[in-house]
Amino acid sequence: MKNKMRVLWLSAIACNGNTHSFLNYPYMEQFLDDFEFIYHPVIDSHYTLEDIVSKEIPCDILLIEGAISKEFQRADVSVVDIIEKYSKIVQKIVTVGTCATFGGIFRESGYEETSGMHFDQDKPSQKFQDLIDKTISVSGCPVHPEVLVNTLYAIKKNAALKLDNFLRPKEFYAYTIHNGCTRNEYFEYKVDNHKFGKLEGCMFYDHGCQAPFTHGSCNKILWNEVNSKTRAGLSCMGCTEPTFPRKNLFSTKKNMAIPENLPVGVGKRVYLTLAGISKAFKIDRLEKKLIDD
Amino acid sequence: MIKLIEKIEGEAKLNFNFKDNKIDFVDIEFMSTRNIENILRGKNAFDALVINPRVCGICGHAHLIATVQALEDCYDNLELSNKAKIIRELTLNFELIQNHFKWYYLTMLPLFGHKQQVLKATFPSQLMGKAIALFGGQYPHTSYAIVGGVVCEITEIDIIKLQHYIAQTIKFVEDNLVKTESENFLTCKDADVLLDYEGDLPDILRQIKKEELLEYGKSYDRFISFGENSYFKKGKSLKTKVSHNISVEHVKESEMPSSFAKNVSFKDKYYEVGPLARAMVNKTPLIADAHKKYGDSIFSRILARVCEISQLLEHSKKLIKDLDLSEQSYIEPSIDISQLNSRGYSAVEAARGTLIHKVEIENGIIKNYEIITPTQWNLSGGTKEKQGVSQKAMIGLSDVKTAELVFKSFDVCSVCTTH
Repeated sequence: MKNKMRVLWLSAIACNGNTHSFLNYPYMEQFLDDFEFIYHPVIDSHYTLEDIVSKEIPCDILLIEGAISKEFQRADVSVVDIIEKYSKIVQKIVTVGTCATFGGIFRESGYEETSGMHFDQDKPSQKFQDLIDKTISVSGCPVHPEVLVNTLYAIKKNAALKLDNFLRPKEFYAYTIHNGCTRNEYFEYKVDNHKFGKLEGCMFYDHGCQAPFTHGSCNKILWNEVNSKTRAGLSCMGCTEPTFPRKNLFSTKKNMAIPENLPVGVGKRVYLTLAGISKAFKIDRLEKKLIDD
Repeated sequence: MIKLIEKIEGEAKLNFNFKDNKIDFVDIEFMSTRNIENILRGKNAFDALVINPRVCGICGHAHLIATVQALEDCYDNLELSNKAKIIRELTLNFELIQNHFKWYYLTMLPLFGHKQQVLKATFPSQLMGKAIALFGGQYPHTSYAIVGGVVCEITEIDIIKLQHYIAQTIKFVEDNLVKTESENFLTCKDADVLLDYEGDLPDILRQIKKEELLEYGKSYDRFISFGENSYFKKGKSLKTKVSHNISVEHVKESEMPSSFAKNVSFKDKYYEVGPLARAMVNKTPLIADAHKKYGDSIFSRILARVCEISQLLEHSKKLIKDLDLSEQSYIEPSIDISQLNSRGYSAVEAARGTLIHKVEIENGIIKNYEIITPTQWNLSGGTKEKQGVSQKAMIGLSDVKTAELVFKSFDVCSVCTTH
């Protein structure tokens, strides 16, 4: 029999969004040939959750979904205790999604000291310090299925993944969501008259799009193999970042008419200068309907 | 005896009390909550469109649609194009369909002693995910429905792609679930005739008959459904008597001492929600026939849920024909939300039944938010004297394994319940 990698999928304070996003992985048959879940929230497993918490089942990779608090229990055992037990025996730990990585939406759910595994938003957390070398983070609300699955294959292959400061594989998180957006030209040439419900326009100026300063591959890999939020016309909500969820998500915070958050690495003065020049282009194609009569 | 019921989008604890070797009472306990309603308080009203899909990974889209409709209810005379309405209805249909496939192949089959069929669950549900992503950018967790419409513009080519996803899903149903042309399944009015077909659904229905499980899972025979759209009707059904004159005002939520889930009742009575309830209110001939023969048993409940896959696929095809692409996808509201002091509510049909959202906003900020989920209706835990729908359905069974089957026939969602 093939030597499958044994994976424990543990849900903490979660919505199961990552679980269902994972089920969208297109080559599931292949995946289930190479990996075996000792527990998964919906896929049948040889062990029950009660087995997982009461015994120590051999395991290679621990996946954690959801925000973490000592107070939160699964099968009457604190998730922190479950994490501590399995983190000792596994080769790698993967924090799946933004809640498990930074705390995310459920950081606010009211449990004692709720945060991600190694980060409380962008602040390093002291809790699992000794495990930091074992951990890879794949943030996102939810995680993109290919980002998760290919990270698991990299672990299986012992491939050296370069990680960023939040332990995220650079292969996926070195890009910004802006890369590959079909609305890019409206950004480049500062055509700032976006209205919802249109193929045209860029949501960065008025509608809160965080794509130019959010790390991820949404517009490189695409979602469900067909689209992305920004391509569809919805602002990037910055869901892969420690700041998720910011406040007032559908509107761009500005100071003196300049967006407060600029593209990664871009200074205000340079942005203003460049924006002024770009606006001078007045490109007819971008001023009218893209698919016109 | 206490049993932890797992893999229901979380867990629930069922405490079984036996009397003369039969289940006499079942106490249902949900062990946690995530306090979404508290998280929403003090936030900008539109942020609820981003937070609320995160109530649930499998039916988050229903929470988005419920949110946008509750917010829109806060406005007077808000304009919404027919195109936006149709697009929203389509994506919600697709979510219901993916949910039903997952429930049948991941949850139900193993309970009948068959191997879980992961690929039969993921293949069609991925197609439905693509169909949602075509409009919403991604699935799960899009926020593409906003006050005033939808964010996307769609083209003829998008429609062609969408029709392919639907056609491929219909083909999957015909090759696997009920092996016949969909038209035969959709026009079938006799539940027993369905048993003569091949396919994963008739297999299980025959097994229910053969193993004499037909009496299992019966409850009050009392159904309710509030989410009205171009397919589902609003109404309640008592035995087979349907009335459409019901109001959300009479829906009450109450705390339970032993569980984090809250009870939900209508005029002080517990009602079943979900596909069986919708079919009873809609008087769907095949389900009405199953109900006439086998009551509100697991047979009717399972059939109703799977049958909805084909019905909604067919109805979606019709909805696409009604789309007028020249209409606006989005009409900007004339009043800015920050000027609004108002209340609103919505009721939509999620996969598992009626989902209600209520919101109160003050200068565009959420003052109060209340969510009532379908599983709360079905799993309201009453006392021995006044049992909830699923509690009553488990009474008289002689073993815990069958009780788990009956319990899960309601398609329980723990994360929704413990929002």
